[in-house]
Amino acid sequence: MGALELKGITKRFGATEVIKGVDLRVEDGEFCVFVGPSGCGKSTLLRIIAGLEDASAGDILLDGVRVNDVAPARRELAMVFQSYALYPHLTVRDNMGLALKQAGIGKAEIRAATDKAAQMLALEPLMDRRPAELSGGQRQRVAIGRAIVRTPKLFLFDEPLSNLDAALRVATRIEIARLHRDLGATMIYVTHDQVEAMTLADRIVVLRAGKVEQTGRPMDLYNDPDNLFVAGFIGSPQMNFLNAPALSAPGATLGVRPEHLQVSRSAGAIEGQVSHVEKLGGETLAYVKSALHGLLTLRLFGEHDFIMGETLYLSPEPQRQFHFDAEGLRLRIV
Amino acid sequence: MAQGRPVRWHIAVFLAPAVAVYTALMIIPLFGTLAQSLFNLEAGARVFVGLGNFRRLFGEALWSDAFWNALGNNLWFFLIHMLVQNPIGIALAALLSSPKLRMAAVYRTAIFVPTILSFVIVGFVWKLILSPIWGIAPGMLDAVGLKSLFAPWLGKEEYALTALALVSVWQFVGIPMMLIYAALLSIPDEVLEAAEMDGITGWSQFWKIKLPLILPAIGIISILTFVGNFNAFDLIYVAQGALAGPNYATDILGTFLYRTFFGFQLQTGDPYMGSAIAGAMFGIILIGVCLYLFGIQTRLRRYQF
Ligand SMILES: Nc1ncnc2c1ncn2[C@@H]1O[C@H](COP(=O)(O)OP(=O)(O)OP(=O)(O)O)[C@@H](O)[C@H]1O
Ligand SMILES: [Mg+2]
Repeated sequence: MGALELKGITKRFGATEVIKGVDLRVEDGEFCVFVGPSGCGKSTLLRIIAGLEDASAGDILLDGVRVNDVAPARRELAMVFQSYALYPHLTVRDNMGLALKQAGIGKAEIRAATDKAAQMLALEPLMDRRPAELSGGQRQRVAIGRAIVRTPKLFLFDEPLSNLDAALRVATRIEIARLHRDLGATMIYVTHDQVEAMTLADRIVVLRAGKVEQTGRPMDLYNDPDNLFVAGFIGSPQMNFLNAPALSAPGATLGVRPEHLQVSRSAGAIEGQVSHVEKLGGETLAYVKSALHGLLTLRLFGEHDFIMGETLYLSPEPQRQFHFDAEGLRLRIV
Repeated sequence: MAQGRPVRWHIAVFLAPAVAVYTALMIIPLFGTLAQSLFNLEAGARVFVGLGNFRRLFGEALWSDAFWNALGNNLWFFLIHMLVQNPIGIALAALLSSPKLRMAAVYRTAIFVPTILSFVIVGFVWKLILSPIWGIAPGMLDAVGLKSLFAPWLGKEEYALTALALVSVWQFVGIPMMLIYAALLSIPDEVLEAAEMDGITGWSQFWKIKLPLILPAIGIISILTFVGNFNAFDLIYVAQGALAGPNYATDILGTFLYRTFFGFQLQTGDPYMGSAIAGAMFGIILIGVCLYLFGIQTRLRRYQF
């Protein structure tokens, strides 16, 4: 009930190939998050799954059935758009019920379905308003409600929270996680927000320039990236990439996360000067400029005081190092 | 705040040129005409007759027959535009906005070009086309075996007005098309894609999503059509002359006003009755626009996306 499989999907817009052969399996009930830099093809891939774009090549299978030529509405999936895309002329209730009405379902049943979705999303007091009379967060909840009402096999979200402010984003994120638990439906979620990806995903798919770089559980990607790109993309602040030969380490690049650098004022592997400090209360981020390695980020728990320009010595924790070759591929050294 | 605020002269200064020009060219003539409609000539002298001219216009058979005929014709002229021009304009816009249509720009231009042609050209060209003697319409109908359908449309009392209204529709259908086209383009793609996902495609998408969202534009087109039609004159004058033949079958308020005011052939000009007709036209348009503004437009919702 809701397993998706992509086989060798490519998409060309004119001469440019935007999706370059994506193979992917999303299991039934899984929460799968697509991340990647802007323009890497996340939305395009989602739209291909939805049926809003045709794939140039490859197969899309829903529950084992090829759906390449099935109209979007027949694929039994629902999409939530970044801009909400509500029907401006319809009330919240009609927005949510329109798909069912179009499918010829009876009035009483539609009412029951919309009421149920409204109750799940606390939309009851808003049912007779029009989208223009709602706040951004409320509109997004209506858009989610419109998706729920159709009881789809698969939910598609394209950066649904990026138009919301920080507090609402957290609240809606939790809401979506709860919905996923309650409905048990398969969800595919596009974002470029680290935190959303890490907290929501059962599995993250990292895309880059139309290709899947790595897929895996959030912590697997974090602790065991396959390549430089994934290592740099997952985790915030970004992993530090050090000049490996200068440290006589194997490979071309040595990766170490900001929290895995030990700091000392007297001795260490890397010498550098403090160039900037950010105190976030719970943690302190120090930026250290080193002649051989460039700007490094150092993350320390609690409050720390550094003098601007002061010399620090940093040492990567031995167990927490990642080695990459000149192509950026991970060298797994035991 | 209250005491320190300087008089904002610049507003008056910037408005002055436009107000002056508009007053000189529109407001003064309008009120001059309205005032003149309250006077008439009696024994060679200009005397105030109050609403006497209007009483004659609406009630005295000599005037009122022509007036009601012109008003009725004008309503028919308007009706044809509303029932033919605007639906066709909307349909063309819907077709044009379809992403699958190739060469949309060509069609758009071709359909819009007649609106920038002069009435004189349009009227003359259509007279030539429809002429039973040397027009190409009979020949073309003959070529497809429909010659029996041909009639000298512009020359028959029962067809002439409708034929001219359709010529006007042909000329101006590009305007509603363009306005609706712009309104359709302003509907965000994502809303239409959401409809697509909801299974609302094709015609049902047009009726359920697009049409409600372009209603404000349709309202504006309707009122523009109304004002334009009740001020129309040129096409009839070019095609049928000021007598709006055959037998006044194509006489509308504009041609009636022209004949009365300036005189034509045996009829001498009567500026006072002419002003009364102009006043009546002004009143009709004013009432129509007010009905629209207060009765319809307030009920049309405008959507910001
Ligand atoms: N209709 C189109 N025609 C041509 N190129 C397109 C079209 N749609 C997308 N592209 C290109 O495809 C690439 C991927 O676009 P896509 O919208 O999928 O990126 P994205 O990963 O969603 O980025 P973002 O995070 O900024 O939303 C981009 O380089 C874009 O320019
Ligand atoms: Mg995108």
